[in-house]
Amino acid sequence: MNNSADNHWYPVAMCSGIDDPRETQLLGRKISLGGTSGNFWVRDSEGRDLPVIEKYGHLWTSPGKPNRDLFDIPEADDVGRRLVDVGSVRVKCSPLRAVENFLDIAHFPFVHTDILGAEPHTEVERYDVKIHEDVDEIWATKVKFFQPQAAKSAGGGIITDYKYRVAAPTCAVLYKTSPPRPGEWDVITLFVQPLTEELCEVWPWMALYDDDAEMADLVSFQQMIFMQDRSILENQIPRKLPLDPGLEAPTQADLTSVAYRRWLKKIGYSYGAQVVAA
Amino acid sequence: MILYDYVLSASCYKVRLMASLIGVPLTLKALNFHPEKAHKSPDMLALNPEGTLPILIDGDDVLTQSPDMLRHLVKDNADWLGNDPVQTDHWLGFAAGLNASLGMARLHDILSYEADIDQVRRDGVTQLRQLEEHLTEQRIDGFAFLTGNAPTIADIACFPNTALAPDGGISLDPYPSIRLWMRDIRSLPNFIEMPGIHRLHELVTPSETTA
Amino acid sequence: MDWVAVALSQDLRNAMAMPARIDGTDLALWRSMSGQVHAWGDRCPHRGMRLSHGFVRGETLSCIYHGWQYGQDGGCTSIPAHPKLTPPKTICATTYQCVEDGGLIWVALNEVTTAPPTLSGKTPVRSVQINTPRHEVAAHFGDAEATIVNAVDMTLVLQSTDDAHCIAHVLSTADPKVASRWIEAQRAEIEGVAA
Repeated sequence: MNNSADNHWYPVAMCSGIDDPRETQLLGRKISLGGTSGNFWVRDSEGRDLPVIEKYGHLWTSPGKPNRDLFDIPEADDVGRRLVDVGSVRVKCSPLRAVENFLDIAHFPFVHTDILGAEPHTEVERYDVKIHEDVDEIWATKVKFFQPQAAKSAGGGIITDYKYRVAAPTCAVLYKTSPPRPGEWDVITLFVQPLTEELCEVWPWMALYDDDAEMADLVSFQQMIFMQDRSILENQIPRKLPLDPGLEAPTQADLTSVAYRRWLKKIGYSYGAQVVAA
Repeated sequence: MILYDYVLSASCYKVRLMASLIGVPLTLKALNFHPEKAHKSPDMLALNPEGTLPILIDGDDVLTQSPDMLRHLVKDNADWLGNDPVQTDHWLGFAAGLNASLGMARLHDILSYEADIDQVRRDGVTQLRQLEEHLTEQRIDGFAFLTGNAPTIADIACFPNTALAPDGGISLDPYPSIRLWMRDIRSLPNFIEMPGIHRLHELVTPSETTA
Repeated sequence: MDWVAVALSQDLRNAMAMPARIDGTDLALWRSMSGQVHAWGDRCPHRGMRLSHGFVRGETLSCIYHGWQYGQDGGCTSIPAHPKLTPPKTICATTYQCVEDGGLIWVALNEVTTAPPTLSGKTPVRSVQINTPRHEVAAHFGDAEATIVNAVDMTLVLQSTDDAHCIAHVLSTADPKVASRWIEAQRAEIEGVAA
């Protein structure tokens, strides 16, 4: 299996937002893209066509030869879910730091205060983390956390259940209790486009059960949450994610992060990673 | 009062913050500014032909300029207007300059707006140095805020884009007087935060956190 | 390396943290509720977040990211995600020697046994960043090797932040506003020459 960063799928645009051909970057190289739904194209700097996939509201490409299809999110096809294009936010950080932060709950009381968490409800109880070798994904399950306002549709504080899934090196999916439908999971994703090793375009996307909220409120809520993270992500030292243990100090609450770093190392994904401890 | 609002806009935040500080309730109507550009929709252009946010509606009044909104909000709180209208005007104008420099650098860095990024950052640094010099002189005179010892709409107008400068790649590290001024604003009763401006967690006492 | 002035005492209030930099080394300066000042490496051992963004409660500094709390000796005293856990002693912020003298906060990156330089009874006015290397600023005032330069009724204590920038801490016997404007004019001249 070839695991170089080239051979993965990456989001490069929101399908609904491609008005004119444009240039962007992927893994440090210029690419161009354009077209209309069903006819999108992406080209490298020498004009060669790159493969394209139109899925989950976004246009995906790969500069290499992906050895598997884009990961599946079956919930995206559920009847009754609202699919929310959140748009992109650019962040001066490693794409891997962005994903790792998305997998983290312990920061909620301090970074998303009174929204996703609040003191004194800071405890992270033990949860399960598993690397699924067959599909090459990481799953964290049985994650619970007290949230003062878990989503736009949540009226007050509740214990929210979560599942986290690393579906690709720069893409993660979280499943959380849907406040209007406690038996169902809302799906919130973080698709990260690595522009360079220390700069990324982050494309959150959601598939929610929420019939009442205005679309603008749903988008605003998610942008607010992600922008609260941005000032953290731009101030971590080193900027690249250290894969070797020793430089940073994980605890039990960081099991997902530990598994993520171990998995990146195992599959040889080093773009945005600091492989040798400084 | 109704505020057509975008959660990441520094100008919208000026109005939300001012209203919160004086206890005036606002009905917020979130717009999908990004990625949908909803502020340029026909309905919104009918309300504000300039296609900008925020827009404040109070009865028949439709305000589209944030300095007008700040004045309107505090019309029954004269202390917030400051004692010297010339000074207040000066700083409201200065705030517009900050929006054009620091604010544009931020839109460039977050939402990929086209900008002459080196130029807007240079302009931003020049303005931050002016702000730092003024606030240093205010401190020498024993004043914590831009126009005296109490905050006014001048402070509220200048605060958001200043505090959010790092979002646009402009460091606030070199400005000790700006740092203390921002801290004083963040310490005001009923201060509210926005993404990129954290609340002061130190204001929660340890006893409250373990309660 | 010897003592380096990193800030004016008056610019760091009780229960407050701020960033500083010495020759490319990033620092978190913080003052406890009781007024004790500390200089630490600007990096939380947990996830590398800058501690200068953190918050002070009592005699501790907490990281803004996950609230990990550190006591005066730099040792981690609390991990909010695990309230019942006593943090292992190995989790420790990097600490540096830090003292206050003459209205300035001084930091030494290496062990020093001497006291910081004594200044001549002038009043601290302000700290100003100059986008010019320290030795060029010092040369402008007559001695490229100096870290303390005297000019009439002013004293400048220079802090090299990195290869391209330095901070001038200004002390003066003159009217502080005059001193403040004087350093602005000096900066314009120095940066103009350097450019």
